[in-house]
Amino acid sequence: MRCARCVPLMVSAPHGSSARPRDADLGVGAAWAEAPYPVLVVDRHGGLVRINEAARALLPDVADGDRLHEKVPSWLSQAHRRLGDGPRDACAGPLSGSINDRLFEAHPTSGADGDVVWWLVDETDRRLAETALSDAQVRSEVLAKVSSALLSTLNVPRCTEVAASMAAEHLAEAAVLVAPPQGRRHPLTHARRGGPVTRTVRQVDVASVPGLNEALQGFPPVPARWINPDDIPGWVVPDGFAGPVGSVIVAPLPGHGVPAGALILLRSSTEQAFTEGEEVFARLFAARAGAALSAAGLYSEQAAITETLMRELLPPSLHSVHGVEYAGGYRASKNQERVGGDFYDVHPGSDPSQETLVVLGDVAGKGLDAAVLTGKIRNTLHALLPLAEDHERVLGLLNGALLTSHHARFATLVLASVRRRGGRVQVRLTSAGHLPPLIVRTDGTVEEVATRGTLVGALPTVTANTVRTTLAPGETCLLYTDGITEARGGPLGDELFGEHRLRRALAECAGMPAEAVVERVQMLAAEWLGPGRHDDMAAVAVSAPRNGPLTVVDGRAHGRDSRRKT
Amino acid sequence: MSHPTVPAELPDQLWEAVADGDEHTAVDIVHRALADGADEETLLLEVIAPVQRRIGTEWAADRISVAQEHAATAINERVVGFLAHARPEGERRAPDRGRVTVSCIDGEWHAFPARLVTEVLRLRGWRVDYLGAQTPTAHLIAHLHCTNPDAVLLSGSIPTHLPTAHSAITACQAIGVPVLAGGRAFGPDGRRARALGADEWAADARGAAAVLEAGLAQPCPTAIRQATDDLPHLDDQEYTMVAQSRPQLVKQTLVDLEDRFPAVRGYGDAQRERTVEDIAHIVDFLATALYLDEPDVFTAFLTWTADILEARHVPARSLTAGLDILAVQLRDFPRTVRLLHAGTAALRDHPVPGIRA
Amino acid sequence: MTGLPPTEFVLVARHEPPALTVRVAGELDYDTSEDLVGAVVEHLSEAAQIHDVHLDFSGLTWIDSTGLSALLTVHRHVGAAGATLHLDNRPGVLERMLHMTNVLDHLTAPAAGGQARRFGEDDGTAGAGATS
Repeated sequence: MRCARCVPLMVSAPHGSSARPRDADLGVGAAWAEAPYPVLVVDRHGGLVRINEAARALLPDVADGDRLHEKVPSWLSQAHRRLGDGPRDACAGPLSGSINDRLFEAHPTSGADGDVVWWLVDETDRRLAETALSDAQVRSEVLAKVSSALLSTLNVPRCTEVAASMAAEHLAEAAVLVAPPQGRRHPLTHARRGGPVTRTVRQVDVASVPGLNEALQGFPPVPARWINPDDIPGWVVPDGFAGPVGSVIVAPLPGHGVPAGALILLRSSTEQAFTEGEEVFARLFAARAGAALSAAGLYSEQAAITETLMRELLPPSLHSVHGVEYAGGYRASKNQERVGGDFYDVHPGSDPSQETLVVLGDVAGKGLDAAVLTGKIRNTLHALLPLAEDHERVLGLLNGALLTSHHARFATLVLASVRRRGGRVQVRLTSAGHLPPLIVRTDGTVEEVATRGTLVGALPTVTANTVRTTLAPGETCLLYTDGITEARGGPLGDELFGEHRLRRALAECAGMPAEAVVERVQMLAAEWLGPGRHDDMAAVAVSAPRNGPLTVVDGRAHGRDSRRKT
Repeated sequence: MSHPTVPAELPDQLWEAVADGDEHTAVDIVHRALADGADEETLLLEVIAPVQRRIGTEWAADRISVAQEHAATAINERVVGFLAHARPEGERRAPDRGRVTVSCIDGEWHAFPARLVTEVLRLRGWRVDYLGAQTPTAHLIAHLHCTNPDAVLLSGSIPTHLPTAHSAITACQAIGVPVLAGGRAFGPDGRRARALGADEWAADARGAAAVLEAGLAQPCPTAIRQATDDLPHLDDQEYTMVAQSRPQLVKQTLVDLEDRFPAVRGYGDAQRERTVEDIAHIVDFLATALYLDEPDVFTAFLTWTADILEARHVPARSLTAGLDILAVQLRDFPRTVRLLHAGTAALRDHPVPGIRA
Repeated sequence: MTGLPPTEFVLVARHEPPALTVRVAGELDYDTSEDLVGAVVEHLSEAAQIHDVHLDFSGLTWIDSTGLSALLTVHRHVGAAGATLHLDNRPGVLERMLHMTNVLDHLTAPAAGGQARRFGEDDGTAGAGATS
């Protein structure tokens, strides 16, 4: 079967006329003479028999009888010759080419006496539309891809790398992202299509790149056509860039109010220069990259601030002091947060003969608000250290410092003053409205320390009683917050972990090092919780070492050689 | 790379000290070995790591208590801590390779393997941020945003944390950080790491170092995945159903056990609680096997539990009864029922270990 | 404790001058404490003639430290209005917490004098010293 294009149409012998040529147009008449398409009737030898009005408009200097190959582009004349040479592969695809800057598809049909009638269909606009559409599709796909890649990271260097490498991949042969200066130097990120992304920080003359200074200061962009590629300094061009720079776009990266930097796009002289459409697209790309970079910058800044503030609020890491083991564990109530209303501290005695003060407590409330109050309490207690011999007095002063008329936020806490005497550890314990400490004896007995006192920060006055006890080697005193015993969950879903389970767990902890006790308690409580919601949880274990003097503090061997750490 | 050998008796000596809770002697053993020319990596991986493994097997065989296991681990960790600082600052290798983050799966408490990998990588010149156990995935991701590491090493020992590991893996990759998974939870051949979409898997610390040295490609952050993209069987909702109704399943199973075995009715509080815990574990592993669609997770747990129970002179019969009861409760879920039957078969075929003297 | 979801928190206030009774049932914790403070404050400002505020805890199933904080806040408002607070029908969980934190006497002390004082006047300065 032949394709439709090649089927002889009405042109061949219209109305059954057998009349030959000169008056043939009378027969076909208006049918093609006035057709909106240029039509050429060509005999088998390449002589132009007739052309219609539209063809004359297209090829003004053509007259009947001209030779085809002298008047039309070769793609058409050669196609005509091939047609005469014999049966052509009819379906080889559309014949097309340009005539006078317009793009045409040529469709041959058979005329009388072996003439060929060429119908030329102007495809210029359709092709342009198609190209524009596919460009637009590609660009929106690129933009979508760029956005999701840029949004995936909140890390400034990584975001910069992503932006530069995607620019090199989709917009140009090479891209350079110039970040705002850090002091005198600018962070530069170079990317080359198919090459590695490199990050450097260099002191460069931004004024040497036309339009760069403006872009970095947030002025309107300088059009690409104004930038002379020869003016581009060497530091801009990435290693391995093919040939001299042919065209350049400098696009500002608009940030949140302040520019997030500038993007320089490079093409080598062997490639086509950036078009206006490409320039518009590059600015669109730069806008997205700028927004992402600003967001990442903001996040980093916030994270750094949080980190600094948080450092003061995070529980300290504990270790052995003056021959007594201390270990602490903390878990904030919310998974996203690292601080909350529970706190602990160990303030080492100035020498082994002095008491070390341990504090563990709980501020009513959760999250950062509560954490800020724990900071105040910890600082106040630090200042009250010289008075630590009298726990009740310390609590009274702390209470006074915390009282405010604005809220009834209070804290409960336990103070423990600890000193080693020989192999045993002497402890003075005072509770201010807090859960009483538990002591695990060597035989596995678990004792509750009978100290009781008023919570601090809510009542005009407080009272408390202090209890003295002694830990034999291998015995541990555990201070903990109610987040542990009030952990809700368990295999049946909604049970409290409860003091009885804590006591049962502790009974197995006789003789264990302090950090193992804390880890065991924390692990049981955490497993009890499962993924359920919970309050802050904190625990501190104070243990009398089981055998001999303690040897490792901060990972350093102590007491066995001269490398004593202060 | 050559690994200088250490005296063959060293692991045994260290084990004695660690099991005895004798930190002084334990540190001394390692201190002397260092002085005698052993290198840190060999000590970590060929002396300390085997001792840690032995702590686990001794507990399983009921030769040490849970508390002793914690205590021994604490001492062994102190030995690692000593080793990490044994050389003066100037003699240690400066980080010159790259930066990585080591973290346990959220909920995983066995931090020791992660700690060992951390120290080995540091010795080999990596800058390592060690987040350890008890790190919520949200903290891990925030950390990655701030530090932009070359890779995350995710460690897990207990398979029931694998669904959590899966979300951590996809979260890391979604921000463009590749994940190297390691630890017993991912299976002896790492197939579970692959099933969960991890970029790489390593069997041990040296394997992990080799993977990092070879380099990991950054995952494409635009390829966002859902759990069902990796594990299409999750569409049947059986995992969701079993995981969500865990408390009810445990409760009902206990009630039915009491009906079947009058002895269970007479259990004291502690014994009853143990039973409830055992049932909960069975449900957890069942859910994990459903998540991965891998019966081995379930059957391996059951036979291991049977051994543990036998070592404590508890007949493993109740395990089979528990499976039967669960199969009745979950009869409408075909994949679950198949797993339960596979579990019963595995227990039937499992050789009962002889009574030890 | 059972596997059931936590008991619903319910507040029922009954105003019979010169007494206000608020029945508190369910769990008084982080999520519910503000409701209790709000309910009491609302009635105190509406009705001037209250001499006694009774919190009836017979239906209380749980209280945590935020719940206790709410009781302290309620006490301040009640005291500021010149009324006396009563904690009635205290279940074990509340009794234990009040004992441990040593605040029962403070919370239920009779109102000082008849006339209302400015809220918070007695706080912040008077308690700076310890009682030792």
